[in-house]
Amino acid sequence: MSGEFEPKIVGFLCNWCSYAGADKAGTAQSPYPPNVSIVKVMCSGRVDPQFVMAAFDKGADGVIMLACHPGDCHYTEGNLRALGRHRMLLRLLEQLGIEKERCVMDYVSAGESEKFVKVINDTVRAVRELGPFRPFSSHSGK
Amino acid sequence: MRIGVYLCNCGGNIKDKIDAEKVRAGVLGLPGVGYFKAVDFLCSEGGKDFLAGDLKTERPDRVVIAACTPREHENTFMKILASSGINPYLMQMVNVREQIAWVTEDKAMATEKAARLISAALRRVSLHEPLSKREIDVCPDVLVIGAGPAGLKAALSMAESGRRVSIVEKSPVIGGMPVRYEELFPSMECGPCMLEPVLSEVLHGEHSENIELLTLSEAVGVIGSYGNFTVKIKKRPRYIDAEKCIGCAECIGVCPASAENEFNYGMNERKAIYVPFAGALPNIPSIDETVCLRLKGKECSLCLDACPVEGAIRFDEKEQTIERNAGAVIVATGSGLYDCKKIPNLGYGRLSDVYTGAEFERMLSSNGPTEGNIKTSKGKSPKSVAIMHCVGSLDKNHIEYCSGICCQYAFKFNHLLGKKLPGVRIFHFYKELAVPGKEEFELYAHAKGDPNTTFIRYADITDLKVGSKGGKKAILFKKSAKKSDSVSVDMVVLCPAVVPLPDSAKLGGILGSPADRFGFFEELHGRLDASQSKIKGIYLAGACQSPMDIQSAMTQGMAVSGYVLSGLVHGRKLEISPVCAVVDPEKCSGCRVCVSVCPYKAISYDPEKETAAVNDVLCQGCGTCVAACPSGAIKGNHFTTEEIMAEIEGILR
Ligand code: FES
Repeated sequence: MSGEFEPKIVGFLCNWCSYAGADKAGTAQSPYPPNVSIVKVMCSGRVDPQFVMAAFDKGADGVIMLACHPGDCHYTEGNLRALGRHRMLLRLLEQLGIEKERCVMDYVSAGESEKFVKVINDTVRAVRELGPFRPFSSHSGK
Repeated sequence: MRIGVYLCNCGGNIKDKIDAEKVRAGVLGLPGVGYFKAVDFLCSEGGKDFLAGDLKTERPDRVVIAACTPREHENTFMKILASSGINPYLMQMVNVREQIAWVTEDKAMATEKAARLISAALRRVSLHEPLSKREIDVCPDVLVIGAGPAGLKAALSMAESGRRVSIVEKSPVIGGMPVRYEELFPSMECGPCMLEPVLSEVLHGEHSENIELLTLSEAVGVIGSYGNFTVKIKKRPRYIDAEKCIGCAECIGVCPASAENEFNYGMNERKAIYVPFAGALPNIPSIDETVCLRLKGKECSLCLDACPVEGAIRFDEKEQTIERNAGAVIVATGSGLYDCKKIPNLGYGRLSDVYTGAEFERMLSSNGPTEGNIKTSKGKSPKSVAIMHCVGSLDKNHIEYCSGICCQYAFKFNHLLGKKLPGVRIFHFYKELAVPGKEEFELYAHAKGDPNTTFIRYADITDLKVGSKGGKKAILFKKSAKKSDSVSVDMVVLCPAVVPLPDSAKLGGILGSPADRFGFFEELHGRLDASQSKIKGIYLAGACQSPMDIQSAMTQGMAVSGYVLSGLVHGRKLEISPVCAVVDPEKCSGCRVCVSVCPYKAISYDPEKETAAVNDVLCQGCGTCVAACPSGAIKGNHFTTEEIMAEIEGILR
């Protein structure tokens, strides 16, 4: 590593579309930075807001939630729940003084390996620019 | 705890980017790790044999396999674990090929990431619980709702393979819509003749003893789930003993009471004791209690006196509620037509000689109200007819979609009009034309080439105004933005959009099967599983799911029988995946948030215990309820909060 700040990002990907989209980026051998570690869930609807908060608490500099496109969720509407929870998370993060760019939600289909790579690149770049995330404790009193 | 870690080199695919020795150094010594082995091709026959043997020798408590994507070989490895006597859910895969080796340029970084994700998997797998599939007994019998082409085809193919099928049909007759059509597109086959073999197979074919036909019946309640439904059926009385009646129709002629014949859209009358149209099957009359004098309390026994069979007419029959058990329910209730009165400028219901396509079909039918003669309300043969396509269709003010069948029957009308009334002038008013398929173009080509046929395209249905002028219908239409023109015809036939039946929402409610945005029964997936509803074990066949022609309805009838025959097998138990949600009643506060978020109606609320419970037969394991539960009372098996948290910690160690 070049000495540049390397953000740690946790990516929650649903099994059916976005995880498959990430696999496709692999099959296509499209390189992207290794900063995002993927946690597979069956559906984005499984992503409990506390997972996101825990990730920040445990030292993540950013979180990505990827879901099937609206209307394409394997379980009908889990992605809509995820969207609602993401909105709620953004409000919460704002209250805590955490930049919203650190918590990204997007839709990636099983075919969209290029979009997947772009989301990864954009998020890694944005979080790198923001710099390391300071743990919650240091935000108190802000 | 002793965890075995296997890293697949996948030839050079993984090895070139991930240094197994460095991973070994990083992994050995982590809590729980018993051993680390790098293998060349774990999914090859040799690799699988090695794994099976090694698991038997090493006997690890948990297994981590770092290899390709779990979407490729998770099942392969789970099977090997099971065959080696280890619970298959005690394994976690790490996707080091697709998501690391193939996408990370720097070898050191790839190796570091692999080690980190393996450590996350180690933490996660140490929390895994042994899970097993639950098996339940199933009822292989099937209930079909609707006796049109789709329902009958489904019933017949299942009966042929030995399944017992109950068909619930609302009307007194079977065959659905096409038995009312004299000729069918695209090849001008006679509808009743084409369906006759299917109908007679159902009624008295080789496998008809497997089929129970319940006419004048409706499903009014359903309990249970896939594999074991109990359906409550309301059966209205026919007042005729189907076993005894010989179908001679002596009773009909003598009956003094009559009413509008709804099977002919009120274009003629029928008796109180009636068969809706000649050739209707089963060939047994029924008595309309709202019309029959005797059933309304008056003195009359004319039909009884005329009937040559003792006891065939049964005025003492009562409405019954019966129950049937079925492993699966097939909905095949068909569709309806858009109400043309909602487009008042077309004159339907206001002007004489303006018909819907369905009414015109009856007029064309030799067993219809005019015995197949096309006559205006004045009893004359029309010299000119306008056929309006896209009535209500492709219109954001009415119905947004194209029904896909109307053009085809419109061109069939074109052909039949020309045949029955040589020289008749025909005007097709259309918005768009749709005639897909390898046979369907012929009727269109025929109409196109007919010198008596004119095509007039309109932009919006409101551009057409149908009025009455000197006994004719004057149709005013826009020729261009500024210019109008008109034609004058003797008869107008409207081709309305195909829409859900008005009572399909009610049936959907009873079955718990949701409607799509148009009101059709919603399919599980538009292309992959169009014949499956959102509710497991409830299948959709025919136009209740989407507008469709007879061919597609028949195909769906076959498709649903495929689901049933492969999914519900006599003597084979139904395997229920353990990857589902489980409610802890101790923690559940009874708030019912989970009930509202579950897309599969798999969660129910028990008002007595004041807790929610998950039906694992219906649960698909998405975990939406787990994330939604404010009390943390729902566990998502194999994706528990603790397991996912452990994985997050491992990643961020
Ligand atoms: S399965 Fe992808 S968002 Fe639900």
